[in-house]
Amino acid sequence: MTRHIHIVKVHHLTLAFPTRKNPNPKPVLDDVDFGIRDGEILGLIGNSGCGKTMTSLAIAGLLPENAEITSGSIKFAGKNLLEMSPRERRSMLGKDIGMIFQEPSTALDPLMVIGKQLEEVLTAHKENVQTKEERHEAIKDMLELVGFKNAEEIMNRYPHQLSGGQRQRVLIAGAALLKPRLLICDEPTSSLDTVTTVSILELLKELCHNLHITILFISHDLSVVRGFCDRVMVMRDGKIVDRDTASDILTNPRNAFTAELLTNARLDTRILGFEPVKVDYTKDPVLTAKDITAGYGRTLFERGKNKDEKTDNKVLHDVSLKVYPNEIVGLIGGSGSGKTTLIRSLLGLLPHSGTVEIKSPRIGVIFQDPVSCLNPAHTIKWHMSEALEASGKANEIKGEGTYKERKAKALARITAALEICGLGEEHLMRHPNELSGGQRQRVAIAMCLIQDPSLIIADEPFSSLDASSSAELLKLMTDINREQHTAFLLITHNIHIVRQIAPRVIVMSDGRICEEGTTSDVLTNPQSEATSKLLDAERQIHVILPVNN
Amino acid sequence: MSLVKTKYRSPEASAFYTAGLILLGIVVLAFLISLFWTPYSPDATDASAKLLAPCIEHPFGTDNFGRDVLSRVMSASKYTIYISAAGVAIALVLGTVAGIPAGYFGGYIDKGIMLLGNSIMCFPGILLALVAVAVFGASVTNVIWALGLVFAPTFARVCRLGTMEIKELDYITHARVMGVKTYRIMGFHIFPNLVPQLLPATVIGLANMTLFESGMSYLGLGVQPPDASFGKMLSDSQAYIRVAPWLVIFPALMLVFYILGLYFISEGLRVNLAKGGKR
Repeated sequence: MTRHIHIVKVHHLTLAFPTRKNPNPKPVLDDVDFGIRDGEILGLIGNSGCGKTMTSLAIAGLLPENAEITSGSIKFAGKNLLEMSPRERRSMLGKDIGMIFQEPSTALDPLMVIGKQLEEVLTAHKENVQTKEERHEAIKDMLELVGFKNAEEIMNRYPHQLSGGQRQRVLIAGAALLKPRLLICDEPTSSLDTVTTVSILELLKELCHNLHITILFISHDLSVVRGFCDRVMVMRDGKIVDRDTASDILTNPRNAFTAELLTNARLDTRILGFEPVKVDYTKDPVLTAKDITAGYGRTLFERGKNKDEKTDNKVLHDVSLKVYPNEIVGLIGGSGSGKTTLIRSLLGLLPHSGTVEIKSPRIGVIFQDPVSCLNPAHTIKWHMSEALEASGKANEIKGEGTYKERKAKALARITAALEICGLGEEHLMRHPNELSGGQRQRVAIAMCLIQDPSLIIADEPFSSLDASSSAELLKLMTDINREQHTAFLLITHNIHIVRQIAPRVIVMSDGRICEEGTTSDVLTNPQSEATSKLLDAERQIHVILPVNN
Repeated sequence: MSLVKTKYRSPEASAFYTAGLILLGIVVLAFLISLFWTPYSPDATDASAKLLAPCIEHPFGTDNFGRDVLSRVMSASKYTIYISAAGVAIALVLGTVAGIPAGYFGGYIDKGIMLLGNSIMCFPGILLALVAVAVFGASVTNVIWALGLVFAPTFARVCRLGTMEIKELDYITHARVMGVKTYRIMGFHIFPNLVPQLLPATVIGLANMTLFESGMSYLGLGVQPPDASFGKMLSDSQAYIRVAPWLVIFPALMLVFYILGLYFISEGLRVNLAKGGKR
């Protein structure tokens, strides 16, 4: 195979979504021009909606039907991809261009064992005529290469029997099986916790060196890009605004937008203007939970398997915690440590033993996924009035004046709550799909605020937002904390955020609270193994990852 | 994946909509005109004009009593549309009211409701409707109720499945945490999200209901003489099919137009929802 300096050369690519009403819309990609050098790891960063994913889809030939490339060309190893027939392009997928997506839980067929799914990759490309035994051997070797010690066992498992990190490894193995020359990774780590992220990045770096795979790495997490990529490009509104080597761009940015991204990613309290909150620990706590033990019922299959054990699967064991008024408490821990089960128990959504005492009639909650946090069938105004209605606050307005006056009063409350969250009256009549992820999270917060809770529980609100939206949301949360005196219980796997805004932190591991104390104490002088593991992982992301060969 | 929002309707769906609306339009137009005017009275017999072939005075011909077929076809469309719409409305209400709680609560409530629904479904629908009409007497109202009951489990299943999927989403959990009452969650938070799934089911239900009604009228258990319905006209004319084929052709054509129109529209809805309906 001939060698090219640039394995992919994207030449002045412009892409738009024309419709019958608007034949010349604003392009999604505007004159994008770059090359991926053979054997490098190229990072592509930018806020959500800036065209990162569209760029990768254009290279892979997986653009949506209604997208139209208006000008430019994409060359892969010297061949123009846009002039090829769909059949030729499809045969290139997997063999020459591999792809890994963000969500490992939906990328595998739940009804097929891992070995079978990986075999599918090999049989789909007919030129690899191999016997069944050879295929089996190849899959086993690849699974071992991506770090499974029990490859034979993994091959006979179903996707639901693997953790998120393991699934992502299987996907990487699937993509690497055909030894593609280019591997496109679209946010492969954003749904994983820090420890798993580090191991996945190490694996990708190893693959890059050992199998000589070029990687296009798309991310909105700058801390990941910092140690991992050779070169980095910054995108904004469909244009590439900055490009440089990774170490230069992230320590010494020349473009104003890159600098802004970096500041947002650093989440520095001084630059963003946060003030540390003062908490009075002598007051009665807003939330007291004692000896919570909870779990999920066993499936019929598990019951049949171990008949002797009578108990259900316990996820939480005797968890006790307190949240004081006006306080931000960080709750950290790796995936599967029981954080989400804990908040489900606190909210009363899961049967549990132990007591939960809450001092206010309502607690607010914000969820991780901005896509499903709002009802797609209704407008923002409906959401807000529904929250007002449900809290019983609407009754205060009732009985005063005419119907029209009451309506106006309710509307005034709604706009006031939205205003605190940085949204205006123009958003009232919009539907959730007309808002960005960050805006939707703000509406969710506004819905909590209108109920006037003394505590808001936030379950990983940042993990699917880009750096700029995260910074804004974080600022909003601290503002609310300061001005409305609302306490926050912040569940996250991002230790950096906790360090910045939470004075007190709780560390969970295996369904137990293993450490609790002021943030500075816990994070500088960790007492438990789980905490030090989390801290190690966070540190590793920031330094250049070593390659073991 | 893509953050680009476009109102995108595939040309395939547009073609289905156009064809469906034209076919359905013919029947609906006949129905609307029949409310005010028919060429002759649909029940008026004329002994001197029995079994006339289509001519200028009687464009669709006349039947064995000398009644004008065009007038009868027009007035028959009234019963067909009335019975199918009212039957689907009953089935839709019953199905939704039973299906959403079944999906939302699960457990014994779900098992009980679905057992009832499945036991209705495991009998051939037409048989059940026939029994109901035989017991309660043959009248248009009874036919509507019988068909509504027979069709309700189909809608209940659609609602139950959709609800099971939606109730796991964050916005429903959020509503529960906010303290929204359960009936409100089912009615105002879940139901509007089921509409995209219920719409094609409703249109298909209309078409199937029409076929059932025609079948029952054909067997003499639906619309009673002298009123006309498509099925009734077909059954009355079967003795004359050789001497006066127009007696069969015109009501059958109208029936085909109505059902085919509805199927095309539901197909268009399906194509459109599958392609552009993803959020």
